[in-house]
This record gives sequence, structure tokens and C-alpha cells, in this order.
Amino acid sequence: MSNVLEVRNTGIRFGGLVALSDVNLDVPEWEIVGLIGPNGAGKTTLFNCIMGLYQPNTGTVTYRDRLISLLPTHRRVALGIGRTFQNIGLVRGLTVLENLLVAQHPRIGYGPIASLIGAPRSFSEERKLRANALEVLDFMGLAHLADSHLDGLPYGTLKLIEIATVLATDPDLILLDEPSSGMGPAEAHELGERLLKLRQTLNLTVLMIEHHVPLVVGICDYVYVLNFGKILTEGKPQQVQRHPEVVAAYLGGEVEDEDSDVAS
Amino acid sequence: MATATETLPAAQTHERWHPTVTGWLARIVVLLVLLGGLLLVTAIVPQFWADRISLAVIYAIIGLSLNIVLGYVGQVSLGHHGFVGIAAFVAAYYATEKAGCAPEVGCDVTTFFVSLLFAAASGAIAAGILGLVALRIKGLYLALITLAYGFMAETSIFEISALTRGGAGMPAARPDGFTSDRAFAFLCFAFLAVVVYVDWRLIKSKVGRAILSLKHSEPVASSYGINVTAYKVYAFTLSGLFAGLGGGLFAFRATNVVSNDFNFATALLWVLMVVIGGLGNRTGVIIGSAFFALFPFLFELIKPLEHYVRDTLGREPGFFAIVLGALLAILTIVQYPGGIAQQLSPITRWLRGERFSMHPEGHGRHRRAGHGLKARLRSRHTPGAAAEAESGSEDHDEPEGLAPAESPELAAETERMAAAITTTTESAEDASEGTDASEGKPAPARKRTRSRKASS
Repeated sequence: MSNVLEVRNTGIRFGGLVALSDVNLDVPEWEIVGLIGPNGAGKTTLFNCIMGLYQPNTGTVTYRDRLISLLPTHRRVALGIGRTFQNIGLVRGLTVLENLLVAQHPRIGYGPIASLIGAPRSFSEERKLRANALEVLDFMGLAHLADSHLDGLPYGTLKLIEIATVLATDPDLILLDEPSSGMGPAEAHELGERLLKLRQTLNLTVLMIEHHVPLVVGICDYVYVLNFGKILTEGKPQQVQRHPEVVAAYLGGEVEDEDSDVAS
Repeated sequence: MATATETLPAAQTHERWHPTVTGWLARIVVLLVLLGGLLLVTAIVPQFWADRISLAVIYAIIGLSLNIVLGYVGQVSLGHHGFVGIAAFVAAYYATEKAGCAPEVGCDVTTFFVSLLFAAASGAIAAGILGLVALRIKGLYLALITLAYGFMAETSIFEISALTRGGAGMPAARPDGFTSDRAFAFLCFAFLAVVVYVDWRLIKSKVGRAILSLKHSEPVASSYGINVTAYKVYAFTLSGLFAGLGGGLFAFRATNVVSNDFNFATALLWVLMVVIGGLGNRTGVIIGSAFFALFPFLFELIKPLEHYVRDTLGREPGFFAIVLGALLAILTIVQYPGGIAQQLSPITRWLRGERFSMHPEGHGRHRRAGHGLKARLRSRHTPGAAAEAESGSEDHDEPEGLAPAESPELAAETERMAAAITTTTESAEDASEGTDASEGKPAPARKRTRSRKASS
């Protein structure tokens, strides 16, 4: 099976701080790949390198056999990479529906001049965008929130809206940055089911940063562990969870038998 | 993690309210009366008041131009007098020097439109260059650069005597048929209508949404596929286009353009009028701009006051526009961030087809669950009720592939793991987190949720 995304030898430093060094990561077609690691390990930095928000000092990023290292972020999005943010990447001040309209930007079929003079095409396109957005919201079970403002909504719901918004960019590969943060265990479980359903119906490939271990174990096909900017280990979730270094990285140096039992 | 059940999204599932046919008719009638009244006033007031109204309309165009930078992009421009001034001189230069217009000879309408075209283009180019600068520099530093830009225009471009004819000024004869103040005022109204239309389409289309989202966050905007570079330059260019149009009209209204008309005090007044009008709100900005354009003339309506100001204080009434502007700006920023637009929002919302409500956010919004004290108390005492209500609201979207037999078991495990992880992350929270924050906010999610709760 071919890889959707290949990250090779990626390294980035900020001044004297080496945030990532020599990271290799593959995301095969139709898999849900987890990226875990303690705070400050460089997970979000890696996402930013994949999206082009940061320019890595070394290494390449390949998307479907196409080298995308030098493309600006919006071009990468247009190719089909969607991304959520750790602390909610939604546009405050716009309604839920409007956020989904923003997200459809690369696929809008009228130019910036046409929109200013109010060309008939811009009106028909807007109707189409609206219908698309409502469809996505309906799919995510958020249709009833279409016209509400973001401010009053709970954090977990915002996270779901963000996923809906990323879906509106019509992605092929989605990068989720802690999708379950702000959710309780039951909601996180439901989120896992939803992600599996998303993959089933939309043929999505997923790379996600996640702290919620049951969710990672429950839905990921493969897991990478990042620690201090390096890939600590990789493998099936069950294997990774038992890995002594992973336990050490998470729990601070002590390897306990009990913890590995919990996972199995 | 009680935050997820803190508020009830179910409470917002109200059907969208629509006015009846009579309701729409009433709104249309009111709107027509307001607009018609404005034109009627312009038609019946003395000529010199019509001239002042045309100044108000030109200010409104300039205000809308500044609003794009200030309200939509979220950057401060203190150099707008540069764009407006350059455009005014370009318009006057073309009409007088190239097309041979003069007060005695007159000026044909085509020349007038061509010179406005040049004016708008020059404004757009001048602002587009600033837009390129704005790609790298933001906030206070950009404001300083715009300030320098304005002063540069004042001391270099406005000093080119071939363009400005020095202190005497460059004449700009009004086009044939619009030489009277009243006719010219109506012409200005027509241009304002065009600008309002373009501004409306801008906000309602993908361009406006792109610009608003890059104001919020550039990484987020680019992650939605928006070309941040292009849209920023686009926004500045469009702002310059409007400013140029305003400048061109300014030239023909004055019929003689002098560089003294475009100074820093004016640019400051324009910023103030947009802030007081209401950032990002078209109606508010137009009203705020018109108010500050007409303010100095309002003294004339009260003779004793004018006498006191002019003779006793020895000040021009225009001086007090800045003073009042500063005071109102403080009031706006501290007390009413929405400006005039916020005060008028019950009316404008009603005209747009919503139910009438004096509440600043609209009908029923204040009853949103989670915001009232009662809702808070309720959810605090019975957290289960809130959770039920929420899950009830999402009943219909239950994933189909969910295996019920597996759920309780997994949920129990989930619970256990969550407890373990919570303690882990709790201790890890204090650990340094340097590079993991793309937005420069290193606090982990849980911490953030807490502060959000405290501030709301």
C-alpha cells in the first residue's frame, strides 16, 4: 500500500533549541496513525512542518509521491491536507456555518473580482457552498448549531466543529491536533467512533496527535512516539504502550509492570 | 472535565425567525423613508449645505476605505491622508493639465470619470505598496510605518509643484452638469452607493471571509487554504482604491486642491471616526464619518456657541472635532466597543429582517444557556441534567457503526485510563513546554479550559 504522507529526516531548530531532529514518519493510505509523546516533544511542530507553517532546516515532506516541502501552506491545503489546531483554529466572530464557508475557500468557483461586482456566478456558488457546509454539519451531527456563534459553545463541541471545518476543505489526509481535548471519556469514545466512521465513508487518512490513551489504542493502526524531538519508537499501539521507554517518558523514569498490564 | 457540559447547545436549536409579508413591507418602507429623507434634505437645503453634505459623503467613502484596513484586516493606518491626497492631486492634475479643464471652460463628464479612474488607481497602487510592507510588519510598527508614509507624502509628493502647483493649489473644475453644489452632492451619493455595494459584496463573498479570517489568525487562515499574502495585499489595494476615489471626489468638490487639506490631523480624525462609528460595521462607519465631516458646521447652527468658540476661545470649530473625537473614542473603547453601530444595532437588525430587540446581541440571545446566572447555578447543582440535555440534543447523530456490547466495557476502561492519564498530565503540566505550541500559547488544553471558565 502506498504512503499518503512521507516525512523524511525532518529537523528544525529555533535558535539553540533543537525542536525536531531526523524525524521519519509514514502515513499509509486509509490508516489512522497516532502521534504521541509528552508535552514539548515537538508534535505540533512536526504538524507545522508538514503544513508549511514552519520551514524545516533539513528533510523533505512528500504527499502522494509529490514533494511539497517548498509549497506554501494554502497550496498544500488545496492538494488535500487538512489540519486542526491544538487550541481551536476556528475564526471567532463568525458563525459555525460561516467557518465552514471559509474552509471551502480553495474550491470556490469565482474570482476575487467577480465577488466584488456581485457577478451572478458568485451568488449561485455561494448557495452551493452553503449547501455543502450544511451537508458536512449534518454529517457531523452539528446541523442544529449552524447559525450559532462560537462564543457560547463548549470546548468539546468546538473541537467537533473544527473537525467539520477541516472536512469542508475536502481533505484526503487530515492532521488532528489533540481532537479529544476538552472532552470527557464518554465523549472521547464517541469521537473515536466518529473518526472510524469518517474514514469509512470519506476514505480519509488520519494522522493525529492525541494524549487520550484509550482513544489511541482504540482506533489507531500505527503509533509514533515522539520525545525531545526524536522518534522514540513506533509500532502497533499495543506494542508501543508496553515499550519501557514510552512508559518512562510518560511517567517520569519509572517502569512499572502494572501499567503495561492495563493496556493489554 | 465538566467544561463540555457547561453549556447546553440544545438551547440554541430554535427555528430561524422570519418576518411576515407585512413585516417586510414595513421594513422596506422605513428604509425608503430614511434614504429618501436623506436625498430630500439634500434637495431642499441651501446650496452651501449641499456642499457640506457632499463632504460628509466623501468622508463616508474614505471611512469605508479605512474600515477595510482597520476593521477587516485589523491594522491601523495613520497615513490615509497620503493616499487620499495623492489621488486628489492626480485627479486634479489630469483634469487641469492633461485634459485642459478650467473653471471658465468647464470640464466634460468623460474627463471627470477618467480622472477619477486615475485617482482610484493611484490610491490603489500607493496602498498596495503599503500592503506589501504589511506582510512583514504588524500592529504598532505598521502604524508607525503608515505614519511615516503619510508624512513622506506630505513632504515629498505634495511638494512637487508640477503636480500640486505649490501653495496656490491645483484647480479641478467640476464636470459639466454637476457644477452646482447640489448636483455634485447627488453625484457623490451615487459613488457612495457603488462603494457600499462593493463593500457589501466583499463581506458576503469569499474575499471578505478570507480577510476576516486572516485578521483572526494567519496560520488558521492558511490552513483553510487561504493565500494570506495575496489577500492582505488585496485588502490594502481595495482600501487604497476607495481612498483614491474619495480623494478624486474631494478634489472636484474643493475645485482647488491644496496640500494643507491633507495633514496628519485629518488622518487621525478619519481613524477616530471609523472607531467611533464602529469597526467593521458599514452603517456605523458611514454615520460616524458623516458626523465628523459635519461637526464643525454644527456650530453655525448655534450662533452664541460659534461666537464663543471663534471670538472668545479664538479657535476654529474644526479644532474641536479632534477633541470630541478623542473623548468619544475613549468612551467607545472602554464602554461601547461596537461604537455607533452598537447603539443602532436594534434598528439595523430589525431592518435586516430580525425580530426587534433592544438586547445588543439580538432577540433571545441573552437567554442562551450557560450565560445567565440561573443556568450556571442549575448546571452546577445538577451536572447530570446538563449532560442529559446535551446527549439528548445529539441523539440523532449516533454513529451507526457503534457496537453496544462493547461500549460499557470500553467506557469502564476509558474511565480508568483517564484517571491515570489525568494524574500524569497534571504532573507534566509544570514541565517546560517550549516548542509544542504553534500559536505561542504553551499552556496545555486543560489549563486553558480552566482559564476560559474563569473569564466567561
